[in-house]
Amino acid sequence: MSSKTESKIWDLKAAKKLFQEYLKKSIEEKKKEVKLPENTVKINNLNKQQTLERIYKLTDSLIDMIYENGRPSIKLPSRSSTNIIWDEENDLLLLGQQIMEKQFHSLGSVADMTRLMKVLEKVNELLIKDMHATKREIFYSSVQLFGDQKNSDKCIEDVATMLYTTRNSTHIVASAKGSCIGRLRIRDRNDIIDLEGLGSGGWTISPMLDNIEILESDAEFILVLEKDAAMIRLSEARFWRKYPCIILTAKGAADIATRMFLRRISKELQLPVFTLVDSDPYGHYIHSVYLRGSKRLSYESPFLATPDIKLLGVLTRDLEKYKIPNDCTIPMNQTDIKRTKEMLNEDFVKKNKAWETDLKLALKLKVKAEIQALSTFGFEFLTDQYIPEKLSTGDWI
Amino acid sequence: MKNRLKIFYKKDGGIVQLIDKEKMKEWSIELPLIFTEYIRYNQLNSYNDPKLKKEIEKYLDEVLTDVAIPGLIEVLDGDNVEEVNKALVRIEELAKKNIEMVKPIKPYVEKLVKKNNKEVQKLSNSIINKFKKAERKKELAEKRKIMQEKEKLFLAGNLSGEEYAQARKEYLVLKE
Repeated sequence: MSSKTESKIWDLKAAKKLFQEYLKKSIEEKKKEVKLPENTVKINNLNKQQTLERIYKLTDSLIDMIYENGRPSIKLPSRSSTNIIWDEENDLLLLGQQIMEKQFHSLGSVADMTRLMKVLEKVNELLIKDMHATKREIFYSSVQLFGDQKNSDKCIEDVATMLYTTRNSTHIVASAKGSCIGRLRIRDRNDIIDLEGLGSGGWTISPMLDNIEILESDAEFILVLEKDAAMIRLSEARFWRKYPCIILTAKGAADIATRMFLRRISKELQLPVFTLVDSDPYGHYIHSVYLRGSKRLSYESPFLATPDIKLLGVLTRDLEKYKIPNDCTIPMNQTDIKRTKEMLNEDFVKKNKAWETDLKLALKLKVKAEIQALSTFGFEFLTDQYIPEKLSTGDWI
Repeated sequence: MKNRLKIFYKKDGGIVQLIDKEKMKEWSIELPLIFTEYIRYNQLNSYNDPKLKKEIEKYLDEVLTDVAIPGLIEVLDGDNVEEVNKALVRIEELAKKNIEMVKPIKPYVEKLVKKNNKEVQKLSNSIINKFKKAERKKELAEKRKIMQEKEKLFLAGNLSGEEYAQARKEYLVLKE
């Protein structure tokens, strides 16, 4: 293959067809609310006042228990792996109805219960003051009590689960990590932000998504990139000007804010979403987290997952199709093989034949490749040929 | 779920989606006005479709008449001096950035100059002065353009010295 690629404008026929289908669907039936199966835990995204009401209800019941028998306890859904269910219909990972009980009956439970109450107290303070804090700040609010950030992080997740709400509703947010660029205008409280006019770095996705509102967009699809390096390439090429789209990346593993923001824009704008990840089990795992959520945060899946995402690349079959030279691919190690086998055992992969076939091909060839391997055909190959060609021909999973 | 975005169709099959005006009723009072002007001055020309532009302009006018102006008027017409002051401070900030943006509420600000409150009077006068300055600036720019044309005509010998002197005098008077 030549190292020089022509900069022509592709007609993204297949992506446009998908966009028109989504548009038609949204007009005909308005997006249906997800109906979760009976045997799963229902979580609500709450506003400030609603979350405060749940806190007061919970503390009232604790006080009642103290008065009644002096043995308070808190019941909350178990987050253990045995309680995680794949909801085939909605394509989501969800929590089942196993309940665990945190008891305050012995000296051994003092530390655990005090930590939990401390986080609850901090959440109450944040909501009353209409402020947000990071997990790190919560840890530093009482270093001696928490000892290690792992303990405060666990309590943060416990508090969200016992209030049956999302972590964002508790105003405890993760540090900003992802970025977004392209044909989108948003409002962050009283500021209008143009995501086309922020330079090559784009907009850092705010973890305080309750302050964000979509104002305008003429995008026709959303592209999710695993790597910041690919983002730089697309940003330098001003890819969204040629092809009307919104591009975002979490710079590696998908964090909560990026997943939540992706879900918001894809749901509200009703646009098709494509992911571009490395051709390795980790890349495929990242795609699956965007698609149906992670096991750790399965109770929040309905608010974090973006069903219907298409895996655009880099597929194992692309390595042959585009004749990626052997010296640009990397042999799989034992961990890669183990992870690929684990992926193949997942129900959601088994149900998607094209995905299963691609992972089996990876196991057979025992190779992986990064998105950057495509630059062996020139820096412009990714933006001028690979992505447009795949979007034009519908070559995705 | 009620759709939060209004869809406009492009000739080429693409779309433009804009936030529904009902959602704007929950915003702080000056924001709908900022939004309409933002789209008008920054986005409208990028759509490259006259029919679409017209439809969006019509929608922005609707936002202005149904949400932005009533919101501001409600506050400016009200008796809550604190709220009126807050609104005027915001309007003054907007006027500093882009006077055209706050033009539709000029008559309401003019009424406030007579109000029996020093702070309200001070802020309204400051906004009215900004309007006056902007109008003068606009007038001067128009005159400057005419003057340049007359200079060209004069140098080409197509305008008498007397006519040129008269135009120059009018221009200098306005400039001072």
